[in-house]
Amino acid sequence: MANKVTDQKSVLVDLTKCVGCGSCTVACKLWNNQSFQNPQSEEFENAHGEDVKLDSNTWTTVQHMRVQKDGQEVWRFVKRQCMHCLEPACSSVCFAHAFHQTEQGAVQYDPELCVGCRYCMIACPFDIPKYEWEKVMPSVMKCQFCSSKLADGEAPACASVCPTNALMFGNRDEMLAKAHEIIDNDSRYLNHVYGEKEVGGTSWLYISDVDFGELGFPTDLPEKSIPKNIHGFTRFTLPIFAVGALTWTGVSLYAKRRHAVAHEGHAAEHKSEE
Amino acid sequence: MEKRKELENKGMSRRRFLSVMAGAGVVGAAATMTGCSPVSDPSGTGWLPNQYRNASAIPSQVKGRVPLDPDNVSLVRNDEKCILCGQCIEACEKVQSVFGYYELPVHDDFICVHCGQCSLWCPTGAIKERSVVEEVWNAIQDPETKVIVQTSPATRVGIGEEFDMGAGAWAEGQMVTALRKLGFDVVVDTNFSADLTIMEEGSELVERVTKGGVLPQMTSCCPGWVKFVEYYYPELIPNLSSARSPMMMHGSTLKTYNADKLGIPYKKIVNVAIMPCLAKKFEISRHQFHGLEGGAGQYHEDPDVKDMDYVLSVRELADMIRKYLPGEDFANFEEGQYDQIGSTAGLIFGNSGGVMEAAVRSAYYLITGSNPPELLYNLEPVRGLEGIKRASVNIPGVGDVKVVVASGLANARQMCEEIKSGKADFHFLEVMACPGGCIAGGGQPRTAVPPQDWVRQARTDTMYNHDKIGNVNGTSVGGGNAGQNAVKTGNLRLSHANPQITDIYDNFLEKPLSHLAHELCHTTYEDRSGSLTRKEV
Repeated sequence: MANKVTDQKSVLVDLTKCVGCGSCTVACKLWNNQSFQNPQSEEFENAHGEDVKLDSNTWTTVQHMRVQKDGQEVWRFVKRQCMHCLEPACSSVCFAHAFHQTEQGAVQYDPELCVGCRYCMIACPFDIPKYEWEKVMPSVMKCQFCSSKLADGEAPACASVCPTNALMFGNRDEMLAKAHEIIDNDSRYLNHVYGEKEVGGTSWLYISDVDFGELGFPTDLPEKSIPKNIHGFTRFTLPIFAVGALTWTGVSLYAKRRHAVAHEGHAAEHKSEE
Repeated sequence: MEKRKELENKGMSRRRFLSVMAGAGVVGAAATMTGCSPVSDPSGTGWLPNQYRNASAIPSQVKGRVPLDPDNVSLVRNDEKCILCGQCIEACEKVQSVFGYYELPVHDDFICVHCGQCSLWCPTGAIKERSVVEEVWNAIQDPETKVIVQTSPATRVGIGEEFDMGAGAWAEGQMVTALRKLGFDVVVDTNFSADLTIMEEGSELVERVTKGGVLPQMTSCCPGWVKFVEYYYPELIPNLSSARSPMMMHGSTLKTYNADKLGIPYKKIVNVAIMPCLAKKFEISRHQFHGLEGGAGQYHEDPDVKDMDYVLSVRELADMIRKYLPGEDFANFEEGQYDQIGSTAGLIFGNSGGVMEAAVRSAYYLITGSNPPELLYNLEPVRGLEGIKRASVNIPGVGDVKVVVASGLANARQMCEEIKSGKADFHFLEVMACPGGCIAGGGQPRTAVPPQDWVRQARTDTMYNHDKIGNVNGTSVGGGNAGQNAVKTGNLRLSHANPQITDIYDNFLEKPLSHLAHELCHTTYEDRSGSLTRKEV
């Protein structure tokens, strides 16, 4: 099941280029055969607009944000979807191995293996996986980075339809270089490629001229990946269990022996009484 | 041996088959209920248009779709029907030069001139007009209101197509009858206010030419074009005629002069317009036409009055007829008569070049005092579907008047650049945002995709054929039938010869460009260039 990531792909999102047309959200629905119904309210909902949220039917959204820039209100449109971490927390916490990375770096979720524990939802630093609350036997749902398209050398559905090239697709090192090139040649951009270092790096990269925090991105993330971060204490799991097991084995053996000795002594006493 | 096996198979098969199937059914049902059934491939099982299915190294030519404000007053889009074919963006960028002509990032606006061409190019009907059929129907049902409806010139060659009468079929009379059947109280004709526009805009042109005003003068009947200028060429706002569009002149005069004549309190009038246009829905929302800023509101000093209340596209009128006159045979409706008359100079406003031709006919009269020569009744160089048409007309007293007609905003952009660069040597520029003019407006019935020239041509031809006859169809709204009978029998191909035009000036507006005419028939524009950063072209 587990592949080595040998051909890490990436989408570079230039937030200054997005015009909010929502093409990417429609492409996602088309390619993944998803309805426009909100799974809970069952009402028709666009996946782009001011109050949009990811749900089990909606793997990507474009949120219309009104933010302050140089003392003026400006509009920015923020595409949200799974960031496809290079070292995914969801995958590291999943004991059912329902998550795996494809060769292109897509963090793919396999509903057939999922037991529905929702650890991944707690582990994800970007709050991406969504539960199918409406179903009797729910799965967790999230963007799959169109893994089969990627394997065929195609761009993911969303990136292929973008009319302004706000979504650029390619190898991650090329996209990183491009991001820095754009930032270096245009002083309007912030000198920050979001996703380059956050939680150990992500496949999706963002550049912007407005503070990422104001656009709803978590900005307090460590540079170390979450699996590595928690490795500091999770690596003691095995020794603790081993020591525990040995201790209890010892205790058990000792108790058994004591019992046996006591029993023998008891028997001898009994015998002498006779 | 073989025979026995065969028999065994035969004996066993029916029973076993049924029990195996029943067992499989139970297992399957149980599996489904517990969620153990196979799940579809999580990496996508759907569909995308072929242009997106190539290797990412080969970018597709046509991709995505236009950004559209969810609160756009003219247009709505149903994402469920959108297939990302890219046609809307093609129309918006290549035909109209709106999308892609501003720098990114955006400021605080979804740049849209509301022309509605995207809705004509959309093959699935995902993009369509924001319908006000319900609102209009409620107004008709309300016993407290009087609903006055006006019909734009180009509607009469469009509506028939919705009822299988063929491309460009003349359905003026049927449309009037349908409107009366639907319960509209008064049915007037925008051809009349087109005549009024000619008087105002023509007089303005004569004044600019003879007294040295800003030239070239640009027409202002098309709200898509007006918003385009406000966005991209605010420096050319002084070139725009200050005259309102015919629809808006009609709105203000109906709630003032005609309200009095009809004996209806202006507050009770609901003004509805049937238009081949979706930008008209935006136009009526402009603050310049509301309350104390508006014509009727200013006249009555009433902040609650709007000059126009609702605009229905031709497609919406067809929807309304199908919904509220079910089973009726539109094509065979008796031909009704308007409560007003407009000349056929007003009629040809619906064609690209028509405003120019009508204006030239009357400008000739306004300058020389006599009617134009035969040649000007058939101004061929400004007719037809070509994007940019140039002509020169000799008018005694002023010499050669050079005119240019552009339709489709990409063509209009060329002319704007020409004016900006100082190379323009012409006096008058007519622009219609939609290629071919209002006959191919964003509110007209859909043709094949992309919109077909043969349909445009058929509609255009029908309009000119009726201008040739010059016959008009109407009585007079609320009396004042000066010269009424003469008109009914003769022909009326000149705006200034419309007796109802004479009437409104004699009894109300005094003369073109008078103070009252300015209040009711002219407007102001606003610089919208702050909403975007123009891309240098």
